[in-house]
Amino acid sequence: MNRFNKILIANRGEIAIRIMRACRELGIGTVAVYSEADKDALHVQFADEAILLGEAAPKESYLNADKLIRAALDSKADAIHPGYGFLSENASFAAAVESAKLTFIGPSADSIRAMGDKAESKIMMKKAGVPTVPGFEGLDSDDDFRKAAKEIGYPVLVKAAAGGGGKGMRVVNAESELTEAIESARSEALNSFGDERLLIEKYLVDAHHIEFQVFGDKHGNLIHLFERECSVQRRHQKIIEETPSILLTPNPSTGSGRDLREEMGQAAVNAAKAVNYFNAGTIEFIFDPKTSRYYFLEMNTRLQVEHPITELVAGIDLVQWQIKIAAGEKFPFTQTDFTQHGHAIECRVYAEDPSNGFLPSTGKLLQFIEPHGPGIRVDSGFAKDKEVTHFYDPLLAKLIVHAENREAAIQKMQIALRDFIVHGVITNIDFMQAVLAHDDFAQGKVTTRWVEQNLESTLESRSLLLENRQQAVGLHMIAAALADLTFASSNSQPAVSNETDPFSPWKHMNNYRN
Amino acid sequence: MKITFDTQTIEINSSGNEYLATLNEKTVSVKILRTENNRMDLLIDGKRVTAYVSSDGAKRWVTINGQTLMLTKISGAKRGVRHDHAGGLIAPMPGQVRSVAVSVGDVVKKSQTLLTMEAMKMEIRIQALKDGKVKAVHVTQGQTVEREQILIEMED
Repeated sequence: MNRFNKILIANRGEIAIRIMRACRELGIGTVAVYSEADKDALHVQFADEAILLGEAAPKESYLNADKLIRAALDSKADAIHPGYGFLSENASFAAAVESAKLTFIGPSADSIRAMGDKAESKIMMKKAGVPTVPGFEGLDSDDDFRKAAKEIGYPVLVKAAAGGGGKGMRVVNAESELTEAIESARSEALNSFGDERLLIEKYLVDAHHIEFQVFGDKHGNLIHLFERECSVQRRHQKIIEETPSILLTPNPSTGSGRDLREEMGQAAVNAAKAVNYFNAGTIEFIFDPKTSRYYFLEMNTRLQVEHPITELVAGIDLVQWQIKIAAGEKFPFTQTDFTQHGHAIECRVYAEDPSNGFLPSTGKLLQFIEPHGPGIRVDSGFAKDKEVTHFYDPLLAKLIVHAENREAAIQKMQIALRDFIVHGVITNIDFMQAVLAHDDFAQGKVTTRWVEQNLESTLESRSLLLENRQQAVGLHMIAAALADLTFASSNSQPAVSNETDPFSPWKHMNNYRN
Repeated sequence: MKITFDTQTIEINSSGNEYLATLNEKTVSVKILRTENNRMDLLIDGKRVTAYVSSDGAKRWVTINGQTLMLTKISGAKRGVRHDHAGGLIAPMPGQVRSVAVSVGDVVKKSQTLLTMEAMKMEIRIQALKDGKVKAVHVTQGQTVEREQILIEMED
């Protein structure tokens, strides 16, 4: 077995550190890469060695395949772990890494390519007997699309075959909107992916996003590690994830006898096997709670952001196994070796402002205190005094809790979020508290459009939760005033001016920050 | 001593080994039990309160019971001054100017894209709020801007 001596981590932030921890535990050396904007970043300090890639812009640094491979060769690393995002699902990069006689810690370039095309993968899934959303691929004329839409029934979704990240995707509610939607989706697809092929399918309203972790080795062993419920999203991006999903936990009163979890898990395994998959991957399903039907959405051919909740409930270190599998080791476990223990939830702490349309917030972290305690895990990429820049993803840290059951996990998360203190950038911590406290969340009724539909009322409900808002603001003011009195006396007087503030001072008072 | 945050003024007076804080004509007694690394343990009307306070220029970030507020300290002379920037288009987020589509004197239509910005993988289009003429362009391509910075001004 060709054990690795050194691994280059082609990523930044919390995931780079997460991977370095696994390397350290396996006795493998680590090489960090960084851009000029990240020279003081935590992941650079955490690694055994660090190599500067170039300017802050991703294409000059974390997206630059040539520089990354050169860095790996120069530092005598044996393998590259891509993390998530950046080049993790780029088949050409995976192939280039292997051509350079390095190991790509992930699936084969062929698997990535096969799952990267939405139309091709859908055809493949149908062949493998995996349920897909009713629809058509390979259509060309507007007339064909019109006929197809009629057969499927509105609302329908047209989306780019080469797509991803919500680009080149349009919801069409009626035939009158169809032609325009096709045109705009086509031009966006062409601009973003250089490929104007579209597919059309049923648009499922009020659906849940439930995904299955799969894991396999290079010797043909492949199993699933249960589901993750990821329906709390904004702009198609996940905010809160949990496992198990209460929708898959059999309800004795319905007595249908169907074991949905087992069924979907098997479908996920079939989907992954259809592309000869190895290493960690995720099969995403759309789940319709009204019919309890599920449909293949896409496969993410990499480690997911939310992998920790699976690690806690299934009792396995996915990143360590990714590395061992990449080195050729056999995965020694079978499906029956795993059961779900307790309940895990992850909250993504983002530097963004929910009351300003979830737009990013940047700045120096004046305070960054992470919560601790039994069953609390923080995968973080930041610390006090670090700078949050506008160049990269707004994820500051992932707060993950594990408890005996869902109720206990929610409660643990609420307490842990209270103890997570971030000053200097606006975060979504308070918004996540509002979601966790909401009845819809307690009852498992949060669909992928829920945040969009309930944002205003959720923000309001949060302020109402404070028994007396005025009193709460008062407490904050007392603390701020006393801090000025006591700290300022030893310091020079802080610069007091609102000249640079182009807004009326009235703006901030009613605006709940965080 | 009086301190104004945003729209409200709080008055703090020391009284023996404690303080009296008056806000909205209500006075409470406050005792500082401990201060350490921007953390304060207070006794407010006999109730224990832990507060974390950070300051950055005029901004005060305060967390109590998991709730974080950003307050802005207003200096006496500047109090109540309204900054009028009618016709000015401001940056809704910090980031980088990706492209500027107009120059001074250009006549633009409502909803026309004047400028695009990028931050954290997100692209935002700054569009004209109404038909009009560009009076000033304050930024150039590639420039980094702060949130609420004025980007473009329109003639009335």
